[in-house]
Amino acid sequence: MSVLVLVEQADGATDELSLQALALARDLGSPVHALSIGEAVTGLGAYGVETLHVAQDDRLSTYAPAAWAACLGQLADRLQPSAVVAAGTNRGNEVLAHLAARRDLPFAANVIAVGSDGTVTRVRWGGSLLEEARIDSDLRLLTVAPHMVEAATVNGSEAAVEAFEPALDETEFVVRVVDHAETPTAGISLAEAKVVVSGGRGVGSADGFGMLEELAGLLNAAVGCSRVVTMAGWRPHTDQVGQTGTKVAPDLYIACGISGATQHIAGCKGAKKILAINSDAEAPILASADYAVIGDLAEIVPAITAELRKAQSQ
Amino acid sequence: MRLGKPVERFDDVPKRVRNEAVIVLGQRKLLQRLVPGLIHAAIFWGFLVLFPTIVIAMIGVVDKESTLPWLGEQGWFALMVDVFAVLVLAGVVGAVIIRKVQRPARFEGSHLGEADLILALIAGIVTTLLLWHASRIALGVNEWPSSWSPVSDALSGLFGDGGVTEVLERVFVWAHVLIILSFLAYLPHSKHLHIATAAFNVYFARTRPRGRLEPLRFDVPEEEMRFGAGTVPDLTWKQTLDTFSCTECGRCQDVCPAWTTGKELSPKLLIMALRDQVFEEGPPLVRGEEGFEPSPLVPNAVTDNVVWDCVTCGACVRECPVSIEHVDHIIDLRRHLVMMESSFPAESEQMLRDVERASNPWGKPQTERADWAAELGVRVLEPGDPAPEVLYWVGCAASFDERARTAAQSTAKLLQAAGVDFAILGPRESCTGDPARRIGNEYLFQAHAEQNVSTLNEAGVTKIVASCPHCFNTIGNEYPDFGGDYEVVHHTELLADLVRDGRLAPSADAGTITYHDSCYLARHNDVRADPRAIVEAVGTPIEMERREERTFCCGAGGARMWMEERARPINEERVREAAETGADTLAVACPFCTVMLDDGVKSRGDDLRVVDVSTLLVESLDGDGTRPPAP
Amino acid sequence: MRILVCVKRVPLTGGKMVLTADEQALETRHLGFTISPHEECGVEEAVRLVEEHGGEVTVLTLGPAEAEEQIRDSLANGADRGVHLVTDGEEWDPQATAAVIVSTIQAEEAVGEGFDLIVFGNESADAGNYQVGIRVAYTLGRPVATGLKGLSVADGRVRCEQEVPGGRDIYDLPLPAVVSVLEGINLPRYPSVPAKLRARSKPVESSSPERPAARLERLRLMVPPGQGKQAEVLGSGADAAPAVVEMMRDIGVAG
Repeated sequence: MSVLVLVEQADGATDELSLQALALARDLGSPVHALSIGEAVTGLGAYGVETLHVAQDDRLSTYAPAAWAACLGQLADRLQPSAVVAAGTNRGNEVLAHLAARRDLPFAANVIAVGSDGTVTRVRWGGSLLEEARIDSDLRLLTVAPHMVEAATVNGSEAAVEAFEPALDETEFVVRVVDHAETPTAGISLAEAKVVVSGGRGVGSADGFGMLEELAGLLNAAVGCSRVVTMAGWRPHTDQVGQTGTKVAPDLYIACGISGATQHIAGCKGAKKILAINSDAEAPILASADYAVIGDLAEIVPAITAELRKAQSQ
Repeated sequence: MRLGKPVERFDDVPKRVRNEAVIVLGQRKLLQRLVPGLIHAAIFWGFLVLFPTIVIAMIGVVDKESTLPWLGEQGWFALMVDVFAVLVLAGVVGAVIIRKVQRPARFEGSHLGEADLILALIAGIVTTLLLWHASRIALGVNEWPSSWSPVSDALSGLFGDGGVTEVLERVFVWAHVLIILSFLAYLPHSKHLHIATAAFNVYFARTRPRGRLEPLRFDVPEEEMRFGAGTVPDLTWKQTLDTFSCTECGRCQDVCPAWTTGKELSPKLLIMALRDQVFEEGPPLVRGEEGFEPSPLVPNAVTDNVVWDCVTCGACVRECPVSIEHVDHIIDLRRHLVMMESSFPAESEQMLRDVERASNPWGKPQTERADWAAELGVRVLEPGDPAPEVLYWVGCAASFDERARTAAQSTAKLLQAAGVDFAILGPRESCTGDPARRIGNEYLFQAHAEQNVSTLNEAGVTKIVASCPHCFNTIGNEYPDFGGDYEVVHHTELLADLVRDGRLAPSADAGTITYHDSCYLARHNDVRADPRAIVEAVGTPIEMERREERTFCCGAGGARMWMEERARPINEERVREAAETGADTLAVACPFCTVMLDDGVKSRGDDLRVVDVSTLLVESLDGDGTRPPAP
Repeated sequence: MRILVCVKRVPLTGGKMVLTADEQALETRHLGFTISPHEECGVEEAVRLVEEHGGEVTVLTLGPAEAEEQIRDSLANGADRGVHLVTDGEEWDPQATAAVIVSTIQAEEAVGEGFDLIVFGNESADAGNYQVGIRVAYTLGRPVATGLKGLSVADGRVRCEQEVPGGRDIYDLPLPAVVSVLEGINLPRYPSVPAKLRARSKPVESSSPERPAARLERLRLMVPPGQGKQAEVLGSGADAAPAVVEMMRDIGVAG
């Protein structure tokens, strides 16, 4: 049975998380069809896509979740797949929820694996807990949890591209992006940084973050924080890493004075490597970290900064 | 004072009378500083003795020939008058030297001009008295035998017995009476009002344990939902009396850890500021002036900083010669800010939310509360289990903070080694509520107090040992207000007993140790000797200057553990003092002191090991392989 | 304006996940509870809107008897009345949750004024299904915008701000509408004690709906493998700095 995957793109390049979704979609059936709204993208053949459908309508130039769901639904009606899949991004979850609502179908968000018996494994608590679930429907709707499935490639030929003109009426566009406000970002954005230096309760005060910012400067890193820090007013919510803040997936996540509550881990477990700097050798974060340094972060962080400066000047 | 809210201070009469005798008559608190104390005692006792002379002078103004029957003729009384008049003068001279030459820092902020005027008036009263007596002796009209009043007698030599002296005699007595009358008129407008109020303030001072705060009632109708002190009418009558009794002596200011480290809070300035606002707003409020709204005490009388700088160490209360209770003022100001206006340092909000929702200020799950005891085989009391002989109340700090944990582990090991039948509540032990109460959230505190009392009573607990002085204070002194009556001891008390009884046999080779008295142990609860007994048993004690009842806070009390600090850190100030003793080890008996002083040592880079006495004790037991590697 | 906020009672889990023996739920004995974070901010946002525009905030929860605690907390933070759909503690799947919320709303709106705005959290902290708000909106035929960090109401319309990389996308919806918000849209107030006392007597209506069969059926819960990983300790204190830098070089971030 075929599978239909909604892929997201920006400026003609497919979003990394959609590629991860394609990898999981391949476990659900074949052939794999992809839907892109507005723009075509290339290279999907390497991810197992047989046909890329590109929905075309002038009104689709700005995002409108109901319209996207309508496109997906109409294409699904035509292709009759066994599953409709998207990445577990904000848009992916939103569009599939819309589709589920309009079709009164169950929808499993943030799936990380599919079982041979038709069950799915999905994440709860931002990833700190897993759920094995059964979707009670012939057509299964699901999104793929970000950074939990590897975007593996296959030996596939170039995907065929088909234009697709959905029949959309104005009601689908009541909710659409009407404007965009740029926020001037000072420095690297948390979600995109390759390295994140993050501080928690152990940093002690807003001023204490000065040494973290210094280290971040040398590493071209973004500075993050835990929820305790935001609640205390030391840093803005935009710096918060966690289940209810930003979820990051850097190459290295340095957690300074962060105890490691599951809500925080949910935000940083996408990191390739986690270094925990903590005075407590029994802090929960050590169970999720790859590396640890035990001691007073007020001594350790400046020492690392000094050592890095030395190394970088050589 | 009529505006003031009620507070129960009419009980405990014997204790109150005793306090009057010792503190007022005996001038005990004033004598805590010897020289100024003697000066004041001289003036104070002088005034008591000289009081009848005021009556005599008034009689003498009206009728030159008369005096007070019987007393005015007694030689021994005349002798006392002479002696005390001289003492008063000596006192005034001494006071002038202190104020003008020595200029101690505690007078910073006090109304010195006022003080000078008062001293001048006192000197005037006494001088005119002596001169009046002298002139009467010169005229031969003294009712008492002049040989009994040597000073007046000697002064009488300045006067002849003629008409000039007759005039002078009248001048002196009139001057004497007029100075007294103007003094009386000046009294209510100056800090000298304390002579009317101080004795009452001492009588009505708290007789219940120092560490106990007065609970509030929340089951009140809508119109009465005003909690804490937001405006002048919210102060209790005792608090208002406090403000009238302040003499601006500044002894409290001198010992305040916040003021000493450069912060805004001075207990003296706090009381003076409240007094000023009471004097300003009191009259229109009492008159019921239409449309008059009292203004908020914060920020009008005092700033937020002043309210939050306080560590509730009680040093000010201890020093105050007129029994002003500054901590109660601070707490009531906090209660209004926190409970009525939700205004408190932003960084403390997480602690309050954690205490409320997670039942501990660390916000960690209660399921992990007994993790520190996992490998020690400590009994965790489950519902329905028989009560142990002693319940070990571990406290949130020792349960969740890695530095404080060691003390709990040491204490458990010691109790096991001594064969004490004990258990811990584990996850059912929730925060005593002390940080909530000290920051001013009385409502949250009471919720926890009631819950803990319920748990303890259901479990049939009768005796509790706590290793945290705040838990010890709250459960022992404050839980009885909520139906929790237990025998509560601090772990140092229990351990010292075990050592004395020989159930624990330490060897004394831990080197030089200086012991830091925790405020909530040494000052609020008089536990001073037992921790020292343990220190002596394991090493060589060296005392700091600010010790026992005069101990200097570590900086964490009053919920300040969860607030950011401005100016110089209190903990570093205390560590400086400890380091100066030259001891190898800084011994503590409190998890907060452990963390604060260890932080202080780290920031200063001193070579001091900060460790709980229980850990020192366990390390010194024979056959126990838990000595740490040499630093 | 009339605003309905839907909240959920969730446990405060801390650092470890411990399951019940039957693997159907988290072991919550001795755990504290709270309102799911996004929703707590939703309540605050609703209360602020009503403070600005006048009206009433109703808070609704589908949860066990103990969930009244979360309703009372919301009432202390400024909500005016509560609706408690009492469950037996068993979890409801997102479709069933949405359906019972819809029927409750329809019943209320049939006899009184409609809700101008219905506020959800974007996803609940525990189950994280991301769909209840959208389902409710769809069934009621109202527009819905999700993942919002900003809301403002004027002239019968709601302006919604959604954070995206580089800035914010703006949506403009006609009322009545449904929105789902994210933590960070505001900082919830700390209630005064009089507010908490008054909340005890604000009206809360309860009912006990019957749970339909789940279409997203939970079979069992599992703790992810790799919990209980052992971090490689690179050293202690400042002395570990060289080892740290070497590690950074190895993974290629040392710059």
